[in-house]
Amino acid sequence: MKIAILVSFLAVLITFFSVVQVPVTLTSDEVAKAVSEATSASGVSVDEEVLERAVQLSVAKLEEGQRTRLKYLASAYLVIWLVFILYVLYLERQQQELDKRLAQLEQASEGP
Amino acid sequence: MKIIAIITALFIFISLYLIFGYARIEGTMLEVQKIFYYHVSAALTVFVAFGVNCVFSIKYLIQRKPNDDLLAVAAAELGIVFCTIALLSGPIWARYAWNTWWNWEARLTSTLVLWLMYIGYFILRSALEGDRRRLYSAVLGIIAYLDVPIVYYAVDIWQGGLHPDRGTKWSLETTMQHTWMVALIALILLFTFLLMVRYRMKKAQARYEAIQQQHLTEASS
Repeated sequence: MKIAILVSFLAVLITFFSVVQVPVTLTSDEVAKAVSEATSASGVSVDEEVLERAVQLSVAKLEEGQRTRLKYLASAYLVIWLVFILYVLYLERQQQELDKRLAQLEQASEGP
Repeated sequence: MKIIAIITALFIFISLYLIFGYARIEGTMLEVQKIFYYHVSAALTVFVAFGVNCVFSIKYLIQRKPNDDLLAVAAAELGIVFCTIALLSGPIWARYAWNTWWNWEARLTSTLVLWLMYIGYFILRSALEGDRRRLYSAVLGIIAYLDVPIVYYAVDIWQGGLHPDRGTKWSLETTMQHTWMVALIALILLFTFLLMVRYRMKKAQARYEAIQQQHLTEASS
């Protein structure tokens, strides 16, 4: 039973971290390159430095938002699994107690 | 029993894959909306669990078979487990969506009352013995179930609450709809499996108590 609980808990964690879209932190070099490529492709003359700063701030804000949302999501699913695991552990304890009592009763009935 | 366990595990894994890998990310709540799939499914499983409790409580009152009482109590226990899940995952959603962990709106309050009523059911059971325990808890189980329609229709009766209309979950985008249906089936299967496990344990426990009682009677005579 304990193995099943552990396996299910690990499976949930692995599924969560492998499938969920984890935020990718963009470096300032990557942002600068993307801004430079975009401005040269569009042919519009803009202050690249100002644009780069604005894009960097926007990306940081979006990433922070996503990180916060994923924390909420992970917390909710961990709480759900924690409740299930605690209940299954409670069932296991009850079963062990019952087995112990039955063994005692068997012993008593076999006695003198 | 083993087949149900395997099917349940399969459905849980599929539902988790669908939640995190298939369902579209909703536009307003973004990733946080994915809490919905297990939160709403757990809440609906609560209705099923307490429904089973109510049906077997009525059956016990009519036929007076102790096994009906055992099934009713096993269902009530699982109802509390699923209600706890709904009550704990809800505030996480609420904190992000409504900027508060708890709000005394109709559905939240009636769900908390439902949870408290079934906690009361177990307190009552622990305070009584034998036939009186079975009889009074069956009556309380039926009375407590009256709160289920109140929880379900709370958003219609007391309008202006924070929960969306009852119909919202049926008008979801296709990928979300599929995911939610699979999550709901997974949790109902999990409930069925745990109910069977708990019922068997309760039956074994009752048999043990009967044998022990018999031994005590024989020893005293």
